[in-house]
Amino acid sequence: MSFAVLQAGIQSTLQEAPRRGVRYMGIPASGPADTLSMALANRLVGNAAAECALEVPYGMLSLKAMTDHIVGIAGATAAINVDGQPGLMHRTLKIKAGQTLNIGAPEYGLRVYVAVSGGFAADTFLGNKSTCLPAGFGGLKGRALRKGDMLNTQNGGGGGSTILETPMKMRQVLSHSFALRCVPGPDESRIPDWEHKQDFKATRRADRIGIEIAGSWPKLKGAGLKASAPVFPGAIQLTPSGTAFALLPDAQTTGGYPHVLQVALADRHLLGQIRPGDNIRFLKRSAEDAAYDLRLKQTFFEDWLPDLRL
Amino acid sequence: MIECRLFLLGDDAVGIQPADRQLRHALALSLRETCEWVDVVPGKEFTAAQFNPFDIRPSEAIRKMEAWLSTFQEKADSSYAPVDLHLDVSNDRAPDLGALAAENNLSEEEFLEKVAQSELIIDILGFMPGFAYVEGVDEVLTGERLAVPRQRVEAGSVGFVSGQLGLYGLSGPGGWPIIGRLTETLFDPARDDPFLLREGQLIRLKLVGA
Repeated sequence: MSFAVLQAGIQSTLQEAPRRGVRYMGIPASGPADTLSMALANRLVGNAAAECALEVPYGMLSLKAMTDHIVGIAGATAAINVDGQPGLMHRTLKIKAGQTLNIGAPEYGLRVYVAVSGGFAADTFLGNKSTCLPAGFGGLKGRALRKGDMLNTQNGGGGGSTILETPMKMRQVLSHSFALRCVPGPDESRIPDWEHKQDFKATRRADRIGIEIAGSWPKLKGAGLKASAPVFPGAIQLTPSGTAFALLPDAQTTGGYPHVLQVALADRHLLGQIRPGDNIRFLKRSAEDAAYDLRLKQTFFEDWLPDLRL
Repeated sequence: MIECRLFLLGDDAVGIQPADRQLRHALALSLRETCEWVDVVPGKEFTAAQFNPFDIRPSEAIRKMEAWLSTFQEKADSSYAPVDLHLDVSNDRAPDLGALAAENNLSEEEFLEKVAQSELIIDILGFMPGFAYVEGVDEVLTGERLAVPRQRVEAGSVGFVSGQLGLYGLSGPGGWPIIGRLTETLFDPARDDPFLLREGQLIRLKLVGA
Protein backbone atom coordinates (compact mmCIF):
# COMPACT_ATOMS: atom_id res chain seq x y z
CA MET A 1 0.00 0.00 0.00
CA SER A 2 2.50 2.57 -1.10
CA PHE A 3 4.04 4.73 -3.80
CA ALA A 4 7.70 5.33 -4.56
CA VAL A 5 8.54 8.95 -5.32
CA LEU A 6 10.49 8.99 -8.61
CA GLN A 7 10.23 12.76 -9.11
CA ALA A 8 9.29 14.89 -6.11
CA GLY A 9 8.29 18.24 -7.64
CA ILE A 10 8.91 21.52 -5.85
CA GLN A 11 7.77 21.53 -2.21
CA SER A 12 5.17 18.80 -2.55
CA THR A 13 3.61 18.16 0.87
CA LEU A 14 1.00 15.99 2.56
CA GLN A 15 -1.93 18.01 3.90
CA GLU A 16 -5.23 17.38 5.63
CA ALA A 17 -7.62 19.75 7.43
CA PRO A 18 -5.87 22.70 9.14
CA ARG A 19 -4.62 22.38 12.75
CA ARG A 20 -7.27 24.08 14.85
CA GLY A 21 -7.35 25.27 18.44
CA VAL A 22 -3.56 25.54 18.96
CA ARG A 23 -2.81 28.80 17.16
CA TYR A 24 -2.34 30.57 20.51
CA MET A 25 0.75 28.39 21.04
CA GLY A 26 2.29 29.74 17.85
CA ILE A 27 1.23 26.77 15.72
CA PRO A 28 0.37 27.76 12.12
CA ALA A 29 -2.84 26.37 10.60
CA SER A 30 -1.19 24.45 7.72
CA GLY A 31 -3.60 22.36 5.63
CA PRO A 32 -4.22 22.72 1.89
CA ALA A 33 -3.58 26.09 0.25
CA ASP A 34 -6.55 25.35 -2.03
CA THR A 35 -9.14 23.61 0.16
CA LEU A 36 -11.66 23.28 -2.65
CA SER A 37 -9.34 21.50 -5.09
CA MET A 38 -8.19 19.06 -2.41
CA ALA A 39 -11.82 18.27 -1.58
CA LEU A 40 -12.59 17.65 -5.27
CA ALA A 41 -9.62 15.27 -5.57
CA ASN A 42 -10.67 13.36 -2.44
CA ARG A 43 -14.25 13.10 -3.72
CA LEU A 44 -13.11 11.14 -6.79
CA VAL A 45 -11.79 8.33 -4.56
CA GLY A 46 -14.59 8.30 -2.00
CA ASN A 47 -12.64 10.07 0.76
CA ALA A 48 -13.81 12.77 3.14
CA ALA A 49 -13.18 16.29 1.78
CA ALA A 50 -10.21 16.97 4.08
CA GLU A 51 -8.59 13.48 4.01
CA CYS A 52 -4.80 13.55 3.84
CA ALA A 53 -3.73 14.21 0.22
CA LEU A 54 -0.69 15.42 -1.71
CA GLU A 55 -0.36 19.09 -2.57
CA VAL A 56 1.91 19.55 -5.59
CA PRO A 57 2.86 23.12 -6.52
CA TYR A 58 4.19 23.44 -10.08
CA GLY A 59 3.38 19.76 -10.78
CA MET A 60 6.31 17.73 -12.09
CA LEU A 61 5.65 14.75 -9.87
CA SER A 62 6.13 11.05 -10.66
CA LEU A 63 4.87 8.31 -8.37
CA LYS A 64 5.37 4.60 -8.95
CA ALA A 65 2.57 2.47 -7.50
CA MET A 66 3.91 -0.49 -5.49
CA THR A 67 0.40 -1.97 -5.25
CA ASP A 68 -2.88 -1.29 -7.09
CA HIS A 69 -4.22 2.15 -6.22
CA ILE A 70 -7.20 4.34 -6.94
CA VAL A 71 -6.31 7.99 -7.38
CA GLY A 72 -8.09 11.31 -7.95
CA ILE A 73 -6.44 14.47 -9.29
CA ALA A 74 -7.82 18.02 -9.21
CA GLY A 75 -6.56 21.60 -8.96
CA ALA A 76 -4.37 23.44 -11.47
CA THR A 77 -4.72 21.84 -14.92
CA ALA A 78 -1.73 19.66 -15.77
CA ALA A 79 -1.07 16.88 -18.28
CA ILE A 80 -1.41 13.46 -16.66
CA ASN A 81 -0.16 10.11 -17.88
CA VAL A 82 0.15 6.61 -16.51
CA ASP A 83 3.11 4.81 -18.07
CA GLY A 84 2.85 7.18 -21.01
CA GLN A 85 -0.89 6.68 -21.59
CA PRO A 86 -2.75 10.01 -21.19
CA GLY A 87 -5.02 10.17 -18.16
CA LEU A 88 -7.63 12.65 -17.03
CA MET A 89 -7.88 14.97 -14.09
CA HIS A 90 -11.28 15.13 -12.40
CA ARG A 91 -11.86 11.43 -13.05
CA THR A 92 -11.26 8.38 -10.86
CA LEU A 93 -8.00 6.82 -12.04
CA LYS A 94 -6.96 3.20 -11.47
CA ILE A 95 -3.25 2.57 -11.28
CA LYS A 96 -1.87 -0.96 -11.22
CA ALA A 97 1.12 -2.11 -9.23
CA GLY A 98 4.30 -1.21 -11.11
CA GLN A 99 2.72 1.61 -13.12
CA THR A 100 3.98 5.18 -12.84
CA LEU A 101 1.73 8.22 -12.53
CA ASN A 102 3.29 11.33 -14.08
CA ILE A 103 1.95 14.83 -13.52
CA GLY A 104 3.18 17.61 -15.80
CA ALA A 105 3.61 21.30 -15.07
CA PRO A 106 0.42 23.39 -15.01
CA GLU A 107 0.38 26.56 -17.06
CA TYR A 108 -2.57 28.17 -15.31
CA GLY A 109 -2.94 27.87 -11.57
CA LEU A 110 -0.23 26.53 -9.30
CA ARG A 111 -1.22 23.56 -7.17
CA VAL A 112 -2.29 20.09 -8.24
CA TYR A 113 -3.87 17.78 -5.62
CA VAL A 114 -3.48 14.02 -5.65
CA ALA A 115 -5.80 11.98 -3.46
CA VAL A 116 -5.62 8.23 -2.95
CA SER A 117 -8.44 5.97 -1.83
CA GLY A 118 -8.15 5.69 1.97
CA GLY A 119 -5.84 8.70 2.20
CA PHE A 120 -2.09 8.96 2.70
CA ALA A 121 -0.50 7.91 5.96
CA ALA A 122 1.58 10.64 7.64
CA ASP A 123 3.20 11.75 10.87
CA THR A 124 0.71 13.16 13.34
CA PHE A 125 1.42 16.26 15.42
CA LEU A 126 -1.21 17.49 17.88
CA GLY A 127 -3.67 15.05 16.35
CA ASN A 128 -3.23 16.31 12.79
CA LYS A 129 -1.25 15.12 9.76
CA SER A 130 -0.79 18.39 7.87
CA THR A 131 2.83 19.24 7.05
CA CYS A 132 4.06 22.46 8.65
CA LEU A 133 7.17 23.28 6.64
CA PRO A 134 8.51 26.20 8.74
CA ALA A 135 8.44 24.16 11.96
CA GLY A 136 9.10 20.75 10.45
CA PHE A 137 6.31 18.53 11.75
CA GLY A 138 3.41 16.49 10.33
CA GLY A 139 3.32 14.94 6.87
CA LEU A 140 6.43 13.07 5.81
CA LYS A 141 8.96 13.86 8.58
CA GLY A 142 7.79 17.46 8.53
CA ARG A 143 9.29 18.19 5.13
CA ALA A 144 8.57 18.31 1.42
CA LEU A 145 8.83 15.11 -0.64
CA ARG A 146 12.19 13.99 -1.98
CA LYS A 147 13.11 11.62 -4.73
CA GLY A 148 13.36 8.13 -3.25
CA ASP A 149 10.72 8.64 -0.52
CA MET A 150 8.05 6.01 0.02
CA LEU A 151 4.51 7.28 0.54
CA ASN A 152 2.32 4.90 2.48
CA THR A 153 -1.42 4.86 2.20
CA GLN A 154 -4.02 4.06 4.82
CA ASN A 155 -6.23 1.02 4.72
CA GLY A 156 -9.94 1.20 4.43
CA GLY A 157 -10.30 3.10 1.18
CA GLY A 158 -13.69 1.83 0.11
CA GLY A 159 -14.17 4.18 -2.80
CA GLY A 160 -13.17 3.78 -6.38
CA SER A 161 -15.13 0.72 -7.47
CA THR A 162 -17.13 3.15 -9.55
CA ILE A 163 -15.55 5.73 -11.81
CA LEU A 164 -16.54 9.27 -10.79
CA GLU A 165 -16.13 12.53 -12.65
CA THR A 166 -16.22 16.00 -11.16
CA PRO A 167 -19.32 17.73 -12.56
CA MET A 168 -18.20 20.24 -15.21
CA LYS A 169 -19.73 23.24 -13.45
CA MET A 170 -17.66 22.49 -10.33
CA ARG A 171 -14.25 22.47 -11.99
CA GLN A 172 -12.31 25.62 -11.28
CA VAL A 173 -11.35 27.60 -14.36
CA LEU A 174 -8.02 29.27 -13.67
CA SER A 175 -6.24 31.99 -15.61
CA HIS A 176 -3.37 34.41 -14.94
CA SER A 177 -5.80 36.87 -13.34
CA PHE A 178 -7.47 36.48 -9.99
CA ALA A 179 -10.38 38.48 -8.58
CA LEU A 180 -10.52 37.97 -4.83
CA ARG A 181 -13.36 39.19 -2.66
CA CYS A 182 -12.02 40.77 0.47
CA VAL A 183 -13.11 42.59 3.61
CA PRO A 184 -11.38 45.61 5.19
CA GLY A 185 -8.78 44.68 7.79
CA PRO A 186 -8.21 46.63 11.03
CA ASP A 187 -5.64 48.89 9.30
CA GLU A 188 -7.52 49.57 6.05
CA SER A 189 -7.13 53.32 6.67
CA ARG A 190 -3.45 52.90 5.69
CA ILE A 191 -4.49 52.31 2.06
CA PRO A 192 -6.95 55.07 1.15
CA ASP A 193 -8.55 54.78 -2.30
CA TRP A 194 -7.09 51.31 -2.79
CA GLU A 195 -10.11 50.18 -4.79
CA HIS A 196 -9.32 52.58 -7.63
CA LYS A 197 -5.58 51.93 -7.98
CA GLN A 198 -5.30 48.26 -8.65
CA ASP A 199 -2.27 47.09 -10.59
CA PHE A 200 -1.34 44.24 -8.29
CA LYS A 201 0.83 41.31 -9.31
CA ALA A 202 2.25 38.32 -7.44
CA THR A 203 6.04 38.41 -7.29
CA ARG A 204 8.41 35.43 -7.29
CA ARG A 205 8.37 35.36 -3.50
CA ALA A 206 5.61 32.83 -3.02
CA ASP A 207 5.38 29.74 -0.85
CA ARG A 208 3.06 28.19 1.73
CA ILE A 209 3.75 31.05 4.16
CA GLY A 210 2.61 33.78 1.82
CA ILE A 211 2.63 35.55 -1.51
CA GLU A 212 4.29 38.90 -2.02
CA ILE A 213 2.06 41.28 -3.99
CA ALA A 214 3.67 44.21 -5.81
CA GLY A 215 1.81 47.27 -7.07
CA SER A 216 0.80 50.78 -6.06
CA TRP A 217 0.66 50.29 -2.33
CA PRO A 218 1.21 53.41 -0.24
CA LYS A 219 4.64 53.77 1.36
CA LEU A 220 4.78 53.04 5.06
CA LYS A 221 6.29 55.71 7.24
CA GLY A 222 9.35 54.46 9.14
CA ALA A 223 9.50 50.74 9.74
CA GLY A 224 5.71 50.72 9.87
CA LEU A 225 5.68 48.24 12.71
CA LYS A 226 2.79 48.06 15.13
CA ALA A 227 2.45 45.94 18.24
CA SER A 228 2.34 42.27 17.25
CA ALA A 229 -1.25 41.33 16.56
CA PRO A 230 -2.99 38.04 15.79
CA VAL A 231 -3.20 37.28 12.06
CA PHE A 232 -4.80 34.43 10.14
CA PRO A 233 -4.36 33.04 6.63
CA GLY A 234 -5.98 35.41 4.13
CA ALA A 235 -4.59 38.53 5.81
CA ILE A 236 -3.03 41.11 3.49
CA GLN A 237 -0.24 42.96 5.28
CA LEU A 238 1.71 46.01 4.07
CA THR A 239 5.49 45.68 4.37
CA PRO A 240 8.22 48.34 4.70
CA SER A 241 9.60 47.33 1.28
CA GLY A 242 6.53 48.84 -0.39
CA THR A 243 4.80 45.58 -1.24
CA ALA A 244 2.08 43.61 0.48
CA PHE A 245 2.04 40.03 1.71
CA ALA A 246 -0.94 37.68 1.50
CA LEU A 247 -0.75 35.07 4.25
CA LEU A 248 -1.19 31.38 3.39
CA PRO A 249 -1.75 28.34 5.64
CA ASP A 250 1.81 28.07 7.04
CA ALA A 251 1.91 31.77 7.96
CA GLN A 252 3.02 33.03 11.36
CA THR A 253 0.32 33.39 14.04
CA THR A 254 1.09 37.00 14.97
CA GLY A 255 2.45 39.87 12.93
CA GLY A 256 3.55 43.45 13.34
CA TYR A 257 2.78 44.82 9.87
CA PRO A 258 -0.41 46.75 9.12
CA HIS A 259 -3.24 44.34 8.32
CA VAL A 260 -5.07 46.24 5.61
CA LEU A 261 -7.35 43.65 3.97
CA GLN A 262 -8.59 40.14 4.63
CA VAL A 263 -9.34 37.84 1.70
CA ALA A 264 -12.84 36.54 2.37
CA LEU A 265 -13.10 32.89 3.38
CA ALA A 266 -15.25 32.24 0.29
CA ASP A 267 -12.28 33.04 -1.99
CA ARG A 268 -9.33 32.23 0.27
CA HIS A 269 -8.77 28.89 -1.48
CA LEU A 270 -7.91 30.81 -4.66
CA LEU A 271 -4.76 32.18 -2.99
CA GLY A 272 -3.38 28.66 -3.34
CA GLN A 273 -3.52 28.89 -7.13
CA ILE A 274 -1.78 32.23 -7.71
CA ARG A 275 1.46 31.92 -9.69
CA PRO A 276 4.32 34.41 -9.71
CA GLY A 277 3.43 37.12 -12.23
CA ASP A 278 -0.34 36.59 -12.01
CA ASN A 279 -2.57 39.67 -11.80
CA ILE A 280 -4.64 40.18 -8.68
CA ARG A 281 -7.69 42.35 -8.22
CA PHE A 282 -9.43 42.81 -4.88
CA LEU A 283 -13.21 43.22 -4.73
CA LYS A 284 -14.47 44.98 -1.64
CA ARG A 285 -17.17 43.33 0.44
CA SER A 286 -18.66 44.02 3.82
CA ALA A 287 -18.14 41.22 6.34
CA GLU A 288 -21.86 40.40 6.15
CA ASP A 289 -21.80 40.21 2.34
CA ALA A 290 -18.69 38.04 2.47
CA ALA A 291 -20.47 35.62 4.81
CA TYR A 292 -23.37 35.52 2.35
CA ASP A 293 -20.95 34.82 -0.54
CA LEU A 294 -19.53 31.93 1.47
CA ARG A 295 -22.98 30.50 2.06
CA LEU A 296 -23.78 30.67 -1.67
CA LYS A 297 -20.50 29.01 -2.61
CA GLN A 298 -20.83 26.19 -0.10
CA THR A 299 -24.45 25.64 -1.13
CA PHE A 300 -23.34 25.40 -4.77
CA PHE A 301 -20.96 22.55 -3.88
CA GLU A 302 -23.21 20.95 -1.26
CA ASP A 303 -24.60 18.04 -3.30
CA TRP A 304 -21.18 16.94 -4.55
CA LEU A 305 -19.07 17.89 -1.49
CA PRO A 306 -21.42 17.72 1.52
CA ASP A 307 -18.55 17.92 4.02
CA LEU A 308 -16.62 20.75 2.36
CA ARG A 309 -15.42 23.38 4.86
CA LEU A 310 -13.73 26.24 3.08
CA MET B 1 -18.97 44.41 32.52
CA ILE B 2 -15.31 45.04 31.67
CA GLU B 3 -14.50 47.87 29.33
CA CYS B 4 -13.69 46.43 25.94
CA ARG B 5 -13.52 47.43 22.28
CA LEU B 6 -14.89 44.83 19.85
CA PHE B 7 -14.21 44.89 16.12
CA LEU B 8 -14.06 42.56 13.12
CA LEU B 9 -10.76 41.36 11.66
CA GLY B 10 -12.14 40.63 8.21
CA ASP B 11 -15.04 38.22 7.79
CA ASP B 12 -14.06 35.47 10.22
CA ALA B 13 -12.53 36.82 13.44
CA VAL B 14 -13.52 39.18 16.24
CA GLY B 15 -10.92 41.41 17.90
CA ILE B 16 -11.36 41.99 21.64
CA GLN B 17 -9.33 44.84 23.08
CA PRO B 18 -9.81 45.28 26.83
CA ALA B 19 -9.09 48.71 28.29
CA ASP B 20 -6.96 46.88 30.85
CA ARG B 21 -4.54 45.00 28.57
CA GLN B 22 -3.56 42.64 31.40
CA LEU B 23 -6.97 41.03 30.91
CA ARG B 24 -6.04 39.67 27.44
CA HIS B 25 -4.77 36.37 28.86
CA ALA B 26 -7.67 35.75 31.19
CA LEU B 27 -10.09 36.57 28.38
CA ALA B 28 -8.33 34.24 25.97
CA LEU B 29 -8.21 31.41 28.50
CA SER B 30 -11.91 31.69 29.34
CA LEU B 31 -12.90 32.05 25.68
CA ARG B 32 -11.02 28.86 24.81
CA GLU B 33 -12.81 27.05 27.61
CA THR B 34 -16.16 27.81 25.96
CA CYS B 35 -15.02 25.74 22.91
CA GLU B 36 -17.25 27.97 20.78
CA TRP B 37 -14.51 29.64 18.75
CA VAL B 38 -12.16 28.05 16.22
CA ASP B 39 -8.97 29.66 17.54
CA VAL B 40 -8.45 32.26 20.26
CA VAL B 41 -5.13 34.06 19.84
CA PRO B 42 -3.83 36.87 22.06
CA GLY B 43 -1.69 39.61 20.56
CA LYS B 44 0.13 42.49 22.23
CA GLU B 45 -2.93 44.73 22.35
CA PHE B 46 -5.92 42.61 21.51
CA THR B 47 -7.07 39.02 21.43
CA ALA B 48 -8.64 37.53 18.30
CA ALA B 49 -11.37 34.90 18.28
CA GLN B 50 -11.87 33.14 14.96
CA PHE B 51 -15.24 31.80 13.84
CA ASN B 52 -16.59 30.17 10.70
CA PRO B 53 -18.91 32.65 8.94
CA PHE B 54 -20.78 29.68 7.46
CA ASP B 55 -21.98 28.82 10.99
CA ILE B 56 -22.42 32.31 12.39
CA ARG B 57 -22.67 35.64 10.60
CA PRO B 58 -20.08 38.29 11.56
CA SER B 59 -22.68 40.60 13.13
CA GLU B 60 -23.99 37.66 15.18
CA ALA B 61 -20.43 36.81 16.25
CA ILE B 62 -19.99 40.34 17.62
CA ARG B 63 -23.29 40.11 19.50
CA LYS B 64 -22.35 36.71 20.86
CA MET B 65 -19.06 38.11 22.11
CA GLU B 66 -20.82 41.08 23.75
CA ALA B 67 -23.19 38.72 25.51
CA TRP B 68 -20.33 36.53 26.70
CA LEU B 69 -18.35 39.54 27.95
CA SER B 70 -21.30 40.70 30.04
CA THR B 71 -21.00 37.49 32.05
CA PHE B 72 -17.19 37.29 32.07
CA GLN B 73 -15.49 37.18 35.45
CA GLU B 74 -11.77 36.87 35.87
CA LYS B 75 -10.85 33.72 37.75
CA ALA B 76 -8.36 34.02 40.56
CA ASP B 77 -6.35 31.02 39.37
CA SER B 78 -6.15 31.89 35.71
CA SER B 79 -2.36 31.93 35.49
CA TYR B 80 0.32 29.26 35.30
CA ALA B 81 3.05 28.51 37.84
CA PRO B 82 6.34 30.42 37.30
CA VAL B 83 9.02 28.66 35.28
CA ASP B 84 12.80 28.59 35.91
CA LEU B 85 14.91 29.10 32.81
CA HIS B 86 18.70 28.96 32.58
CA LEU B 87 20.48 31.43 30.32
CA ASP B 88 23.89 30.41 29.02
CA VAL B 89 25.76 33.65 28.40
CA SER B 90 29.10 32.21 27.25
CA ASN B 91 30.61 34.29 24.45
CA ASP B 92 29.61 32.08 21.55
CA ARG B 93 26.01 31.97 22.78
CA ALA B 94 25.68 35.73 23.28
CA PRO B 95 27.00 37.42 20.12
CA ASP B 96 25.39 40.81 20.76
CA LEU B 97 25.75 41.04 24.53
CA GLY B 98 28.98 43.03 24.51
CA ALA B 99 27.66 45.67 22.10
CA LEU B 100 24.35 46.03 23.97
CA ALA B 101 26.06 46.39 27.35
CA ALA B 102 28.43 49.00 25.92
CA GLU B 103 25.54 51.00 24.39
CA ASN B 104 23.95 51.05 27.84
CA ASN B 105 27.24 52.04 29.54
CA LEU B 106 27.19 48.88 31.59
CA SER B 107 29.44 45.87 31.96
CA GLU B 108 28.05 42.63 30.54
CA GLU B 109 27.51 41.38 34.09
CA GLU B 110 25.59 44.50 35.10
CA PHE B 111 23.44 44.33 31.97
CA LEU B 112 22.56 40.68 32.58
CA GLU B 113 21.85 41.27 36.27
CA LYS B 114 19.33 43.94 35.35
CA VAL B 115 17.64 41.58 32.90
CA ALA B 116 17.55 38.68 35.36
CA GLN B 117 16.24 40.85 38.20
CA SER B 118 13.35 42.19 36.08
CA GLU B 119 9.85 40.86 36.63
CA LEU B 120 9.71 38.82 33.44
CA ILE B 121 6.37 37.60 32.16
CA ILE B 122 5.51 35.70 29.00
CA ASP B 123 3.19 38.05 27.22
CA ILE B 124 2.33 36.02 24.17
CA LEU B 125 3.44 32.88 22.42
CA GLY B 126 3.35 33.37 18.74
CA PHE B 127 4.90 34.11 15.45
CA MET B 128 6.23 30.55 15.16
CA PRO B 129 6.04 27.47 17.40
CA GLY B 130 7.83 27.97 20.70
CA PHE B 131 8.56 31.67 20.20
CA ALA B 132 7.72 33.69 23.32
CA TYR B 133 7.45 37.45 23.68
CA VAL B 134 8.55 38.32 27.23
CA GLU B 135 7.67 41.68 28.81
CA GLY B 136 8.79 43.42 31.96
CA VAL B 137 12.49 43.95 31.23
CA ASP B 138 13.93 46.87 33.26
CA GLU B 139 13.19 49.95 31.13
CA VAL B 140 16.57 51.44 31.94
CA LEU B 141 17.98 49.06 29.34
CA THR B 142 17.57 49.97 25.69
CA GLY B 143 18.29 48.22 22.42
CA GLU B 144 16.94 47.96 18.89
CA ARG B 145 16.47 45.24 16.33
CA LEU B 146 19.51 44.44 14.19
CA ALA B 147 19.76 46.51 11.01
CA VAL B 148 20.22 43.28 9.05
CA PRO B 149 18.46 40.19 10.43
CA ARG B 150 20.53 37.03 10.89
CA GLN B 151 19.91 34.20 8.46
CA ARG B 152 20.03 31.78 11.35
CA VAL B 153 19.46 32.09 15.06
CA GLU B 154 19.80 28.89 17.08
CA ALA B 155 16.80 27.45 18.95
CA GLY B 156 16.76 28.64 22.58
CA SER B 157 18.41 31.97 21.75
CA VAL B 158 17.22 34.95 23.74
CA GLY B 159 16.86 38.25 21.90
CA PHE B 160 16.58 41.66 23.54
CA VAL B 161 14.91 44.88 22.42
CA SER B 162 13.91 47.71 24.78
CA GLY B 163 11.53 46.37 27.42
CA GLN B 164 11.26 42.90 25.91
CA LEU B 165 12.90 39.55 25.40
CA GLY B 166 12.18 37.23 22.51
CA LEU B 167 12.75 33.53 23.11
CA TYR B 168 13.38 31.57 19.91
CA GLY B 169 11.77 28.12 20.08
CA LEU B 170 13.07 27.05 16.67
CA SER B 171 16.25 27.75 14.76
CA GLY B 172 15.67 30.14 11.90
CA PRO B 173 16.09 33.71 10.73
CA GLY B 174 15.86 36.36 13.42
CA GLY B 175 16.25 40.10 13.85
CA TRP B 176 16.69 40.51 17.60
CA PRO B 177 20.17 41.05 19.11
CA ILE B 178 21.07 37.87 21.01
CA ILE B 179 22.18 37.98 24.67
CA GLY B 180 22.40 34.26 25.43
CA ARG B 181 20.88 30.85 24.87
CA LEU B 182 18.56 28.91 27.16
CA THR B 183 19.65 25.45 28.22
CA GLU B 184 16.01 24.32 28.16
CA THR B 185 14.29 23.12 24.98
CA LEU B 186 11.31 25.44 24.51
CA PHE B 187 9.61 23.46 21.77
CA ASP B 188 10.01 19.77 20.99
CA PRO B 189 7.35 18.19 18.79
CA ALA B 190 8.40 14.72 20.01
CA ARG B 191 7.81 15.52 23.70
CA ASP B 192 4.52 14.57 25.41
CA ASP B 193 3.93 18.25 26.01
CA PRO B 194 5.79 19.91 23.13
CA PHE B 195 5.54 23.33 24.78
CA LEU B 196 7.56 24.38 27.82
CA LEU B 197 6.02 27.83 28.19
CA ARG B 198 2.53 29.24 28.62
CA GLU B 199 1.12 32.70 28.05
CA GLY B 200 0.92 34.83 31.19
CA GLN B 201 3.57 32.73 32.99
CA LEU B 202 6.27 34.40 35.12
CA ILE B 203 9.91 33.56 34.32
CA ARG B 204 12.75 33.26 36.82
CA LEU B 205 15.95 33.65 34.82
CA LYS B 206 19.18 32.09 36.14
CA LEU B 207 22.48 32.96 34.50
CA VAL B 208 24.96 30.20 33.70
CA GLY B 209 28.26 30.01 31.85
CA ALA B 210 29.25 33.60 32.68
